[in-house]
Amino acid sequence: MNIISIKRITNLGLINFWRNRWLSLASTLIMTLTLLIITLFVVMTIVIGKTTDRIRSKIDVSVYFKDSATTQEISNLQQELASRSDVKEVRYISKEEALDIWDQQQKNQRIKELVTAEENPLPRSLTIKTVDPANLQKIVDYVSGPQFASIIHKVSYEDNKQIIDKLLAITSFIKKIGLIFSIVFIIISILVILNTIRLTIFTRKDEIEIMRLVGASDRFIKGPFIIEGMLYGILACILAMGILWLAIGFVSPLINQYLGTAVTENMINFFLGHFILIFFLQLLVGIVAVIKNSLFSIRKYLKI
Amino acid sequence: MIEIVGVSKIYGERIKALENINLKIEKGEFVSIVGPSGAGKSTLVKMLICEEKPTSGKILIAGRNIVQLRPQELPYFRRKVGVVFQDFKLLAQKTVYENVAFALEVCEAMPEEINDKVPRILDLVGMLKRKDNMPDELSGGEKQRVSIARALVHSPKILIADEPTGNLDPINAWEIIELLARINKRGTIVLLATHNKAIVDRLKRRVVLIKDGKIISDKYRGGYLI
Repeated sequence: MNIISIKRITNLGLINFWRNRWLSLASTLIMTLTLLIITLFVVMTIVIGKTTDRIRSKIDVSVYFKDSATTQEISNLQQELASRSDVKEVRYISKEEALDIWDQQQKNQRIKELVTAEENPLPRSLTIKTVDPANLQKIVDYVSGPQFASIIHKVSYEDNKQIIDKLLAITSFIKKIGLIFSIVFIIISILVILNTIRLTIFTRKDEIEIMRLVGASDRFIKGPFIIEGMLYGILACILAMGILWLAIGFVSPLINQYLGTAVTENMINFFLGHFILIFFLQLLVGIVAVIKNSLFSIRKYLKI
Repeated sequence: MIEIVGVSKIYGERIKALENINLKIEKGEFVSIVGPSGAGKSTLVKMLICEEKPTSGKILIAGRNIVQLRPQELPYFRRKVGVVFQDFKLLAQKTVYENVAFALEVCEAMPEEINDKVPRILDLVGMLKRKDNMPDELSGGEKQRVSIARALVHSPKILIADEPTGNLDPINAWEIIELLARINKRGTIVLLATHNKAIVDRLKRRVVLIKDGKIISDKYRGGYLI
């Protein structure tokens, strides 16, 4: 294919885009909507995943020791737990550290003064985090065994078990629902864009027929549609990014009000941090979807 | 030049559109293919321009069996055979000049060639003065002239006209036929599919009569008899 042909195909694509501007506008807007939905759901799935992961990573169990337990015994248990493959982290909290935490947490001065460095009833403890919070029960079962009864005063898990279980259930539910919604909406969007492009090409079937009759090669017939498709894709991508930008500006204060800043911060950080990536992915999805659909729909009119 | 050998076309399992058609057309001939609607004229035309393939038989053009053309060869074949239709098939959003130039553009012709050929062809069909008009500003006869100009722009050896006068009044119709006759005089084979009796009778050229998918008669200097 020579330069003149490439130039003619490009011109034809641009002219067609402009001459059918209402149809072009409709297709671009539908494409924009599709990209917005896909981006929003993908970002939401990622953000929900990250947020729930963060919540889950905060779930731990504390083992409080009797004052009679020796440092050696505690250290042995710590090493033993740390060497397990399902344990992520074991942290030892000494009496002094426990006092620091007490001081930070207690606002009431009079209660605060009940515990001092000289008279410190706060027990030493180990804080254990597992790789999967669902496995906390196993750790609890292990440390609650009779072999440790002489050194362990209390395991905190039982008190919080209900809350922890509920939290775990909610996070995994949100993750699943988010994923299902994303998949459903993405499929719907793809069907809509497929239909739009088929409609666009259907309205031009006479033009395709004439091109064929005057001896245009398939390449020459498909070329302008590809150029048009790329234009839809690029414009839709720019529009979608603009709308996302505005929407985040408007919506995040509202979310802040109801859900606290953690969710919106995650969302905004993710969006800003991956702006270029999101833009290029959208561009890729937009252009590839339109071109593939165009070529697929045009085939029908290029028979024999 | 054109040789149709034992061509049949069966749609589905039972509808025989054409049955064992044998026809030979020599260089420079003007052949009218006549017959009532549904006789098989259009099917024959579609096969000659490779829009459809016969169920059996061969169609030789310049010694080559076009039934066996590969899809990527079709555009090149179509550039050698000009086609004119009843409904003109002009691009509504292009001017007269652009419509004719378009046929050259899609074939990767150089701009000099386009600038040289298009005005000459438009002059030949008497449409040069209307070159900047849009198709919807033209009469039926004028549209058909533009369509003929587009068919001729590749200098084809064969011009196939499928009911070219179907949408025209008698005066315009005859003008188009005269134009086709003039083109034929320059050496182009003209194949005219029509059911217009007056035109065929007046032409006094070869007439092939098709009825129910079969050739009923083939007469040189014939008239329209059914």
